[in-house]
Amino acid sequence: MANMGDIVICRCEEVTYGQLQATAEKHNCTARELKLRTRAGMGFCGGRTCRPSLDRILESVTPAIAPGEIPLKYQPPIRPVTFGTVGENL
Amino acid sequence: MSDVIVIGGGPAGLAGAIACAKSGLNVSVVDEFIKPGGRLLGQLHREPSGEWWNGIKESERLHQEARKLSVDIRCGVSVYNLEKENQLWNVYTNQGTLTAPFVLVATGAAEYPIPLPGWTLPGVMSIGAAQVMTNVHRVQVGKKGVIIGANILAFAILNELQLAGITVDRIVLPERNQISQTAGEPEEVMKSLLNAAHLAPSPFLRFGSRFMRRDWIRKVGLNFYPKNGVKINGTPLQLRKAAVEIIGKDHVEGVRLADIDANGTIIAGSETIYEADFVCIAGGLYPLAELTAIAGCPFQYIPELGGHVPHHSETMETPLKGLFVAGNITGIESGKIAMAQGTTAGLSIAKHAGKGAGTIDEQLQQALKNVRTVRRHAAIQFNPEIDSGRSRMNQLWEDLYATSIEQ
Repeated sequence: MANMGDIVICRCEEVTYGQLQATAEKHNCTARELKLRTRAGMGFCGGRTCRPSLDRILESVTPAIAPGEIPLKYQPPIRPVTFGTVGENL
Repeated sequence: MSDVIVIGGGPAGLAGAIACAKSGLNVSVVDEFIKPGGRLLGQLHREPSGEWWNGIKESERLHQEARKLSVDIRCGVSVYNLEKENQLWNVYTNQGTLTAPFVLVATGAAEYPIPLPGWTLPGVMSIGAAQVMTNVHRVQVGKKGVIIGANILAFAILNELQLAGITVDRIVLPERNQISQTAGEPEEVMKSLLNAAHLAPSPFLRFGSRFMRRDWIRKVGLNFYPKNGVKINGTPLQLRKAAVEIIGKDHVEGVRLADIDANGTIIAGSETIYEADFVCIAGGLYPLAELTAIAGCPFQYIPELGGHVPHHSETMETPLKGLFVAGNITGIESGKIAMAQGTTAGLSIAKHAGKGAGTIDEQLQQALKNVRTVRRHAAIQFNPEIDSGRSRMNQLWEDLYATSIEQ
């Protein structure tokens, strides 16, 4: 497990396991803060790939998440759309 | 305006649309893919009875039936938001906004990733992607591949790759770490495979029958587990090897494997590189429930159902009025169960819409009974504890909502 820190967790934003761990340690982050500081889960796929991994990393960073709660909130738009599309729909 | 908008044109969504339309409701189905069918399109396997399950044929049958009932099916449409306004649901898509009093969310599942060094190289794909490329697009994913992750989904798709004449060199486990967790522990993997062995399709059955269920025999079995693995239809399943890195410059060239003990700890100095030009990552499935989350539906984490699932009743209603769910979004099970759930959801919507004059309760009970029957006879069971997961959700619904909704 020597190079665990170099493993890319969020592929869209290219955030590594090491960056997530270091950020969590340095800032004593909540789940949301860790996401905003690193941009993990905020890329093109909307976190559909890395969310489960992030959840597992967050278990150790933000302890005691209730089983009824989703660690990282979902926000619209959940698919990549242009500002134009969203604007026309308003 | 439609009476019902179904999001997701897979087995659950199409069956739901058909049930709604048969009850006299006006239905629209939207799906992200270029054609309807969802994950049915990739499925091809032989049932224990000897009959073949051809997902493409099943999807065509559902599609035709829906079209006969004048269901409006729109493909290539992505939904990016879902919210309620003045008693109606607004479904925001990349092609405009649809509005209806009832929405059925049947968005299925997504795959758990297994991050490891080299997993961003071209030639690395999820096992589900390999299935779609093989059975839907008919593209050969590579000449010689390695599957990382041993679970029911991996075995089902291994079989499909073999049917297509694609060589899968071996199945190995991911390296045990904070993210892979029990998927990297041979003993846990074997336990999960054994529990499911009596339900799984034939190639897997032959593997399962080689082992015993008792703990100590399993331990002995693992200690004596053949180093080269046990063959599944010609492909060795190597429970005592873990993938530590995917190697390659511009494309997958190989996988570095290490021997592991029964707990998944790497045995020092045992690393070897094996050639491969593609790698499939098989982390299993989780319910893709993002739309119900942004709609405001409460959730519960139930591992037996595959992860976080929206609160729902056995008749597929959510606590949000007019919002229904069906299929893998409610828990990971096979396509046949998704269809049975879709029918239940469709009838449930018809009941809420005041359709089905007099017979609707009876129809709904029949549909519920059918879900249970199909589950009992399922050839593929993703989680052996599925019944306990379903009971937990039913109990939670009873406790939280049953009385208030009846009032």
